[in-house]
Amino acid sequence: MPITPMEVYKLLPKTNCRKCGETTCMSFAFKLINREKTLEECTPLFEDTKYSSQLKDLQNLLEPLKEATETGLIVDEDLCSGCANCVVVCPVHASDDPYGMGSGLGPTIDDPILRIEDGVVRVVNMKKCRRYGKNRILCVACRENCPSDAIRFLEG
Amino acid sequence: MVFCTGCSCLCPDIRIENGRVYNACRKGSSIFNEKKRAKPTVNGKETDIETAIERAAEILSSGNVAIYGLDTIPIEAQKLAIGLAEELEAYIDDNSSFCLGDFVEMILRGEIPSTTLDDVKNNAYVIFYWGTDPYNSLSRHLSLYTYYPRGGKRQRGYEEDRFLVVADIRKSHTAKLAKKNARFIRVDDDLKLVESFIQAMEGKAPQYPDVARVLSEMKKGYSVIFGGLGLKYGLNGRYEEFTEMFRRLNEITEVYFIPSGFHSNMRGFNELLFEKTGYINRYSFKEGVSKAEFEFSRLLIEEKIDSALIIGSDPVNSLPFEVSRKLGEINTVVVDPLNSLTSMIADVVIPSALTPIGQGGTMMRSDGVRVKVEPLREEEWTDVKVLTSLKEMV
Repeated sequence: MPITPMEVYKLLPKTNCRKCGETTCMSFAFKLINREKTLEECTPLFEDTKYSSQLKDLQNLLEPLKEATETGLIVDEDLCSGCANCVVVCPVHASDDPYGMGSGLGPTIDDPILRIEDGVVRVVNMKKCRRYGKNRILCVACRENCPSDAIRFLEG
Repeated sequence: MVFCTGCSCLCPDIRIENGRVYNACRKGSSIFNEKKRAKPTVNGKETDIETAIERAAEILSSGNVAIYGLDTIPIEAQKLAIGLAEELEAYIDDNSSFCLGDFVEMILRGEIPSTTLDDVKNNAYVIFYWGTDPYNSLSRHLSLYTYYPRGGKRQRGYEEDRFLVVADIRKSHTAKLAKKNARFIRVDDDLKLVESFIQAMEGKAPQYPDVARVLSEMKKGYSVIFGGLGLKYGLNGRYEEFTEMFRRLNEITEVYFIPSGFHSNMRGFNELLFEKTGYINRYSFKEGVSKAEFEFSRLLIEEKIDSALIIGSDPVNSLPFEVSRKLGEINTVVVDPLNSLTSMIADVVIPSALTPIGQGGTMMRSDGVRVKVEPLREEEWTDVKVLTSLKEMV
């Protein structure tokens, strides 16, 4: 299940105290999901005992962030059948390797984003993904063409 | 680069490095796993391969024999198996009798037009999957040959240059991919869908309303229908209207048919037997004809055979229990590289080489293109050698 900023916001102190450096708790929630901030930067949450149950819920909610890659991509290898739809549809693959992955074949470049290894998809080089870095595009081509939901993104 | 022989796609780009298999799907990568290699046995006791072949020749020399399987071995070995069947005046059959053999026969007789998967990649606009779920049965079919790859006249990718149609009884995994520029038709009667196409061409309102849109897309050019087992059992032998639909579709546009979803070299066997006898499966060399009652499962049920030679197939796993139970009552010889349920009940097990690993040969893809499979290493007992020595002894 994707994590929405609103879910995170509901569990934050909602005081807009600015101790984390953000103007509002809502913007802190956004940055938490994008992993630009960490939960530890919200000091009232840890110092004040009245937030302890909220803190526990938040830590549970943000657990999937740890297994996700830098772009928020999560691969569930048990669901993958190795169809390589994601590898072929990726627009970066099509432009970098038109006669390999762009034509449906296996990669002919050394650092593709995704690759099929032992029958399941593996993330090789996330830095090429259009979702990586500051000026990112929220591309979902690989997820859209995965019928078994083996690929998903944190924000949905 | 090696060919994968996991299914009839015969993917050409598999790499094996440091014990890892790259580019193959889950089904394909499993055939490169050699942990379950069979050992030569006679009556359950391990022995050497020569003794096993001698005993197999003894079993096959007397009584009525059926040769079955053959769909995963190269064409060279299939030729020898057909020769052996001729010598023994045996029955010969493969999985195509309950798989997509009917469609292969229609293509070979020229009743429906067919094309190659390379042409599909370069030209096809409408990709129509009818009664098949390639995401599960032929995992890389969509991404390697049909819907997703860019090639030839179709350079702009699947969203603009292809139109996907999936006709199935349920929302299968492949049907979930039919989103933008695509149609999913939920079918309860395949014959009605065939009639719908004919109605739409006559200008009437079709029973399945989506057909009108599909037909207008088909008129834009090159279209391919991939038929699976759902279509075969949906039509249930009533093929006249189906071929009529193709004839009339091809008067107004270009529509081809490719059967999709079977063993790696089933079509190879069908074409070989067709060249030799004019029939594609369930053939009796004694009577010189092909009949429905010569189907392997019916031969077993009706107890017409005394011994069976099963090559590269696992009927205990794939046939109903009532049928495969009978295999335990007759003499069974299994030629298979891997341990299977059938080799557990067999009288004689002769291990052979696994096709892309220990032996090479010619294989035929689902569209009838022959590919030359190079082996990773040479093994001594290939299917060809096993069958040659078996033939000499018989």
